[in-house]
Amino acid sequence: MAAVLEPYIYEGGIHKHTLITELLEDLGGYLIQKVPAATEVTLIMLIPKDDVHLIEELGTKMLGKLTKAPLTSTEIAVVSPTLASHHLPHSACDVAEHLRRDGANTNMIGLARGMGRRVSLSADYERKLINEHDVAVFSFGTFRDCIINKKPKLLENINIPIVVTGGPELETEEVAGADVYVGNIGRVAHRLRKSDEISALDNLNEKVGEVVNKMRKDISKDQLAVLPPRVMKEIHEQIPEILDVLTPAPITLQLDGLRVKLPFEEFHERIEALEFDEGLKLSEIANITPSKMKNYILIKIKRESEVGFAV
Amino acid sequence: MEALETFIVESGIPEEAAAYKSIVSDVISELVLGGAIGRIKVIVTPEDSLFQMAIVLRSSQPLVKLSDITNVDSGSAVKKEFTISVVEEKYLPELLEKLWARYGRGKVRQPERKTLIISAENPGEESELVKEMIIADPKRTLQSRLVEMAIRGTPEGFRVRYHSMDENSFVFVASEDALEPEWIEGAHQILAELQGEK
Repeated sequence: MAAVLEPYIYEGGIHKHTLITELLEDLGGYLIQKVPAATEVTLIMLIPKDDVHLIEELGTKMLGKLTKAPLTSTEIAVVSPTLASHHLPHSACDVAEHLRRDGANTNMIGLARGMGRRVSLSADYERKLINEHDVAVFSFGTFRDCIINKKPKLLENINIPIVVTGGPELETEEVAGADVYVGNIGRVAHRLRKSDEISALDNLNEKVGEVVNKMRKDISKDQLAVLPPRVMKEIHEQIPEILDVLTPAPITLQLDGLRVKLPFEEFHERIEALEFDEGLKLSEIANITPSKMKNYILIKIKRESEVGFAV
Repeated sequence: MEALETFIVESGIPEEAAAYKSIVSDVISELVLGGAIGRIKVIVTPEDSLFQMAIVLRSSQPLVKLSDITNVDSGSAVKKEFTISVVEEKYLPELLEKLWARYGRGKVRQPERKTLIISAENPGEESELVKEMIIADPKRTLQSRLVEMAIRGTPEGFRVRYHSMDENSFVFVASEDALEPEWIEGAHQILAELQGEK
């Protein structure tokens, strides 16, 4: 098993930022995502625990900032009952943005018929799509009665951990089907920027972080046959077409797999045949299926107990 | 009547009413309706999937004529043109639309932001005529903004709607089930209460 990796976000100038990525490579860490924006760059990376200070020293020298990003390598679905202006862009997008600040990759999912009370429902396809993620964050509204009595219908048949946000202060037990309930983030028509709103979002990130930590702990009991970032590195090296993909995260890491944003029909054989130095093929240690999202490829890595070894 | 002199949002639970008031006030400010609404009362009853709203409007604004927002000279018979100097720029887009429709784009020149030069056969006559041209009807845009506000302010999914609108009042009821007559009655009563206030 490789060294313990810790997730960090580096924010700094784009000038000479490759010094950091080169050092990271030398240390055996992984660059998960690079987001250049004009003269700034944001690097999301996994750094070997014992070498974090080296990156930090170099980053400080280059006047950048290195912060912990506990949600790195998770893909979170932010689900709103519909895509109407009642939920978007505030508060659902604000929730998604705040989760991304801690390193998560988020997908916004608006249900086709999630609105209202009696009439609200979700489709099979939507539930399958949500189940492909690590965690689902449902963004609900202002009324206690709706959240307790009507909306939990939307949480049925979701098998991943569910975090529900809403306006009123409720106990998690009151919302049937939710793993965590976070209050004070209900329907608003303005951008969340007041201090109490931001602290409610911080609270949400903390709660989601706890859920993710628990999942990581569960995985470590029966670890993955290969680490998802290792697979990502191999895809980068063996399937160069991934470099031409224009989405913000061409390979999205999940806690127990990856989503590769290449068309399934064209690329699944090459993904299955991906080779590791140990002489293995990816298809031996992972399930490769078409994703419900567009025609992307979904890789779910098998556990050590199933395969018999870990690389 | 002052702007927004009464602004009440009621619901079963006071905290939820306060949260909903913030939504309604955000919608009002987004649609710049603050000055037009005198009194407003909203009652949300989530248990019945019911949203009721009554609004008393402030005295409506008159039609905007071209001479209200510009100065028009009598023009030059030799050059066959007259000049409009815009004083209030707010209505410039509507003004240009109207002038283009009447004279065609080629005959309306705008050498500078606030100056329009119109070519016409009888500049003297035409300049008198355009002075009376109606440029905007604030009442009409007000009505459409009120409807927009009602739709944005309603809880999502309440697709069965009733509205009643006249010169200075607006009543709106929405639900996801068929509307009960007493709900509509209730909303009109709220309006009557608001109108009765001194």
